[in-house]
Amino acid sequence: MLVTGIKSKPVYAPLQADTRGRYHLMLGMGVGAAPLLRVIFEMQSAAARVLKNTRVLYVPDGGSATPEIERFRAAAVGNAQTFPGTPALLEEFRSTLARSLMGTRLYVAGTESFIGLAMKIALEFNLNKDEIRAEECGTSARRVYCIHCRATTENVRTNIASCVGCGRWLLVRDHYSRRLAAYMGVMVDAEAPGELPPLKEMFL
Amino acid sequence: MNDAQTIAVEVIGIEQVTPQIKHFKLAAVAGGSLPVFSGGSHIIVVMQGADRIHKNPYSLLGSPQQLDTYEIGVRRMEESRGGSHFMHDRVVIGSRLEIAHPVNLFGLDKIARKHVLIAGGIGITPILAQLEDLHGGGVPYELHYSVRSAEHAAFLERLRRREGDRLHTYYDSEGQMIGFETLLATQPLGTHVYVCGPAGMINHVIATAKACGWPDSHIHWEQFSAPPVGDAFEVFLARSKISVQVPPDQSLLESIEAAGVEVPYLCRGGVCGFCHTRVLELDGDLIHNDHFLSEADKAKGNSIMPCVSRAHCKRLVLDL
Amino acid sequence: MSAVFNLHETFRDDFSYRNSARAIRRFPLPFSEDSYMYSVNIEPHLPGPPGSVTEFAFDVDEHYVAECRERAIVLAAEPLRYQALPHMMSSQWDCLELIMESLARDYPTHFSLAKQGNRWHWINRPLQIDQHFTFGDTATLPRQPLDYITRQAQGDFVVMDQREGDLWTEAGMVTTQADWSLDFDLGMTFKEWHGPVPLAHELGVFDRALKFLLNLRLGQPVRRLNWTMTIHPRLDTSPENYPQWGTDRATVTAQNAGDLVHLRVELQGLWRLPRSNAIVFGIRCYLVSLRELATVPKWARRVHRVLKDLHPALVDYKGLTRYRDAAVEWLAPFDDGSPTTPGTAPE
Repeated sequence: MLVTGIKSKPVYAPLQADTRGRYHLMLGMGVGAAPLLRVIFEMQSAAARVLKNTRVLYVPDGGSATPEIERFRAAAVGNAQTFPGTPALLEEFRSTLARSLMGTRLYVAGTESFIGLAMKIALEFNLNKDEIRAEECGTSARRVYCIHCRATTENVRTNIASCVGCGRWLLVRDHYSRRLAAYMGVMVDAEAPGELPPLKEMFL
Repeated sequence: MNDAQTIAVEVIGIEQVTPQIKHFKLAAVAGGSLPVFSGGSHIIVVMQGADRIHKNPYSLLGSPQQLDTYEIGVRRMEESRGGSHFMHDRVVIGSRLEIAHPVNLFGLDKIARKHVLIAGGIGITPILAQLEDLHGGGVPYELHYSVRSAEHAAFLERLRRREGDRLHTYYDSEGQMIGFETLLATQPLGTHVYVCGPAGMINHVIATAKACGWPDSHIHWEQFSAPPVGDAFEVFLARSKISVQVPPDQSLLESIEAAGVEVPYLCRGGVCGFCHTRVLELDGDLIHNDHFLSEADKAKGNSIMPCVSRAHCKRLVLDL
Repeated sequence: MSAVFNLHETFRDDFSYRNSARAIRRFPLPFSEDSYMYSVNIEPHLPGPPGSVTEFAFDVDEHYVAECRERAIVLAAEPLRYQALPHMMSSQWDCLELIMESLARDYPTHFSLAKQGNRWHWINRPLQIDQHFTFGDTATLPRQPLDYITRQAQGDFVVMDQREGDLWTEAGMVTTQADWSLDFDLGMTFKEWHGPVPLAHELGVFDRALKFLLNLRLGQPVRRLNWTMTIHPRLDTSPENYPQWGTDRATVTAQNAGDLVHLRVELQGLWRLPRSNAIVFGIRCYLVSLRELATVPKWARRVHRVLKDLHPALVDYKGLTRYRDAAVEWLAPFDDGSPTTPGTAPE
């Protein structure tokens, strides 16, 4: 069974401004503020009017919200907003997409789980790979979907993890579903019960 | 692609719907239903002319639900090499033709949140069948149909009756133009645009949509090129080891077929990429008329779509 | 050709599944030579010789009734083994039409289909089903069309929507699979879906296969064979139920391999669908134990050689690591080193 090197694993690239878009919607989490600001400065030099059509939705990591949001505002972004957590941000993201027009580009910067959850919503609005850019930053902890009981275990940092639903030890594969925004977890000791590989930190 | 798969049909109805467009109804000679198809599909019609066989693609414009007949609309091309003239001048009720199974290179996107359909003139034909697929589907859509004048508006009654206020017509004769910029700048996220009509209109829609920030994957278009006439030249088929003369009024693909060499194809209109062939040697220039190869690929000059493209040369060598 | 059905055989618990001598002779051996590597081995799905598994579009054999019962057992426990995204409804009707028309035409003693416009009457005698319904009206069937008809067919079915120059896995009935999950893979592109397959991406197999399939034509279906191995005649080797069947692999020895180890061959058929322009991918599974296989001397020699020399990445991917050596050892006495004739025929 292939565990790593699976082609469904998303590949991310550093964010770049796509000035072919008319509207720019940015989602950020924690240290994701930095790549978003980088894109904003890139756009400032390209065409200042673009920034009027730019909107930032941002979740700070821990308590220090003010500096980042001030930096977005200082960068002359039309509309920057902070949220107490990812669920609130995603709710606003969904209602924003419902009002958005063709020509919108989406930029996401944050952990892979954050990107995955945002992409899942973007998919519902028929946004495709040409309209979305994502840069992974912060922890690469994974959301893991248990193929046996269908529960999703969040923040998995190790090669194997105990499922929150059924308690089985799951091997975390590179096989990734955008629809579920999760990696596949398969019982690791199904062939030889109790034979677990050593626990290793993998996704930090 | 394979002529063994053709269906014999008889022409059971002909109507002159505009000064330039004839509408044909075809029924299976064997009786019974023709194959089910999806909106946007075309068929290749095989016509036995006096000195050669014409094979032209025509969009199916009838309802995919009504399969006792197929309907096609044929515009008389000014510089036709024969196919459309044959359909207009030689085909009568009772004429027999061969057709290939439908192929869809212009299908609707099934997860679109809205469809915007744009037709110019004869370009309405594939869109008529797409509309049949959209009826009752619950996804919003609108149709923008541009014609020279009311007289040239084929199938207008049918459209008015079925589409009501989803239909927007524009007459060149009255100076009406589709406001592409406004139309494309105000569509909700997840909209797909489909355009079929003259090359100028298609290019304009593509350019305007891109300027409004639309990604390529949301822009759909179909335009079958008729293979243009050109100079005569010789083609040598390296694998078959035969030499073929291509006369001025016959396409490269037709000439190769007439020499008994089979080339796979789907559309015969420069769209699908199926007949893509490697060029091995050339003592002149390729004249690319297809919509499949990128500009960069065309510039490389090492491959050709023989259905619509030809060469200005003495001798061309192909990997066939 | 009407089959006599093995009504009571099972694919779980006591595993009473067996192949008749006739079923063994028509087994679709996937090895045309004494070694194996991936290839885009696609060919037109044209009618094969009478009695062969490719004589008709869909093969109905002696296991038909038992396989349909096995499917019902799986679905009762896990309804999500059948799924279809909402935009796939027209392709569901396409599939129902394709399967009903094929079965009624090819096996008139078992199935019949009568149509009056959109009012259809379907009779499935082996499963004792008599259904009147309106084609296109889901409310007139007890289940969604794809769910309804694939409960009456052998093999798995996956329906792929075509858009953006790709094929999207967006509906299916998958209960007899070789270790992949429809629930997890639903919504994936062609290459994402095949992501876990080793080597083939690097060989360009999926680039070529995708390009070919995007141009698949109506009325010109194609097929290919794929294979793996399974312990016991177990149809449901899903990742979902891996905890139930994973331990089987450790029970194989050189002594019992002939009865436990089964060659599992998938006859994969692909059809362009007319209303939806989607593609249906039928994955029909055939199982034969090594002991049954060894009744054909040529096949015993060939399978012995293929397994012995199989590429290590394929041994791992196909899950053979724990028992490949035992299977090779069990087959060794049947291989006297004499050459095999070309092709897959029993000789």
